Amino acid sequence: MGGLRTAESLRRYKYPGHIHILGDEWHMPYNRPPLSKSLLAQDQEFAQVSFPIKSADLNTEFTLGDGVRQLSMEQQSVTLQSGKKIQFDFLVAATGLRSKKLVFPNNLQGGRFALRTFDDAKAIRQAVGSGKEVVILGSGFIGLEVAATLKGLGCRVKIVAMEDIPLGLILGEPFGEEIRRRHETKGIEFYLNNRVTDLVGNTAITHVKLVDGQSLTCDIFIEAIGSAANVEWLEGNELDLTDGLLTDSSLRAVKSNGTSVSNLFGVGDIARFPNIRFELPPRRIEHWNIPLESSRRTAREIVRQVVPGSIEGFESEDGFNPLPTFWSDQFEFSILSYGEPRLADEIRLLEGNLGEEFIFAYLREGSLVGVAGIGMKSKINEMRKDIIK
Amino acid sequence: MITIKVDMDKCQHYGQCVYEAPNIFKLNENDKLEYLASADETERENVKSASDICPMQAIQVFE
Ligand SMILES: Cc1cc2nc3c(=O)[nH]c(=O)nc-3n(C[C@H](O)[C@H](O)[C@H](O)COP(=O)(O)OP(=O)(O)OC[C@H]3O[C@@H](n4cnc5c(N)ncnc54)[C@H](O)[C@@H]3O)c2cc1C
Ligand code: SF4
Repeated sequence: MGGLRTAESLRRYKYPGHIHILGDEWHMPYNRPPLSKSLLAQDQEFAQVSFPIKSADLNTEFTLGDGVRQLSMEQQSVTLQSGKKIQFDFLVAATGLRSKKLVFPNNLQGGRFALRTFDDAKAIRQAVGSGKEVVILGSGFIGLEVAATLKGLGCRVKIVAMEDIPLGLILGEPFGEEIRRRHETKGIEFYLNNRVTDLVGNTAITHVKLVDGQSLTCDIFIEAIGSAANVEWLEGNELDLTDGLLTDSSLRAVKSNGTSVSNLFGVGDIARFPNIRFELPPRRIEHWNIPLESSRRTAREIVRQVVPGSIEGFESEDGFNPLPTFWSDQFEFSILSYGEPRLADEIRLLEGNLGEEFIFAYLREGSLVGVAGIGMKSKINEMRKDIIK
Repeated sequence: MITIKVDMDKCQHYGQCVYEAPNIFKLNENDKLEYLASADETERENVKSASDICPMQAIQVFE
């Protein structure tokens, strides 16, 4: 997504050069949020999720199914898996994340899934069906969404997670408890403050063992325990690759010695950037609006270097300060969140009732750092402008 | 003139588009999306941004 959006923005800002998008998946760029929602719920074609190529003058070359194996900043080139070498003047790293997977003593693979790609979603869709016993590891957004969708397909769904309260650390305890209550009402079973210690079965999983001694029947085991950044191809270039690609507030890559690289950028999930809005240490944000906004910003930085003075107001721009935006659909309710609720030292129920629709305000030292709720979308949307800038 | 079409089967009424192009999109009192099906050139960039930011990729713009 970040790759395509960067190309689109570069053209929009009249970048005159050649653009080449390199991807290791065989698919053209597509939208991931439906993977845990509509694409699991119904049989859908790739066309339902692919990003439309909106502009006739995108004028971009695509090389797909041939990932980048190694970057060489010294030679200003990347080498692909096939051995092909490509030179660049500017390089945008938008390789995103992959699902983390655990290693168990009996490390069975049959009946085991994770969800990051279109192909992952198809595989889960093919395996599930009414009456299947599903165990999901992790009670984050993806775990909860998949649980809701698969419950809707008639599966029996259990969630095992280390937290006491799903999303409690992100949205606060009362909000998290309410999400759990809603899932339980729908028949989802929670095993919280718990862990899977081993898998049981010969070739395919039949049970999972929990740390508290219980054993759960399981046909389909889905790991939704977070992601790791795809940075291996960047190694060997003295970059800071701890949890993503560290960038400065203009999204330029930062070297281990602290200096910025003027022609290498991080965009989307992979970028660990300082968000000057919240004065935080640099952090990755795995939200959909980040590839969009970071690609626009990066395109401006590139055009600024290539055609100085070409666009008004371009020469002096503040540091990148996006407002993180998140939504999540589970059963018939949807969560909408703006800002950084997890930074709050005070959480207030602003409107509504927990059992129905509601909005929480998240404050840090008295300033609004986030708003989130269920339903009440227009009110939440109105409040986003009150979040600190 | 530009023409705007929202696929209402896809739209989840998040209202992200409202922020990008407030003259064209709004959420009504029932939190449902309402929009103008055509707009003049001055709205072009805003509507394109709205189309980019729509999480469901439900907004089509015809020029
Ligand atoms: C199931 C699911 C549900 C989600 N739901 C929501 C939601 O409801 N709301 C929300 O805000 N966000 C959601 N997200 C997050 C959102 O989709 C991501 O933030 C977004 O896709 C990030 O875009 P990106 O371009 O950084 O990375 P990606 O879209 O992951 O693109 C990176 C691409 O780079 C490729 N790649 C990796 N390594 C290499 C290499 N060495 N060479 C070449 N190519 C490589 C990858 O295969 C991939 O195609 C969801 C994500 C998932 C997986
Ligand atoms: S942004 Fe998209 S999904 Fe949201 S209200 Fe607008 S059209 Fe609907």
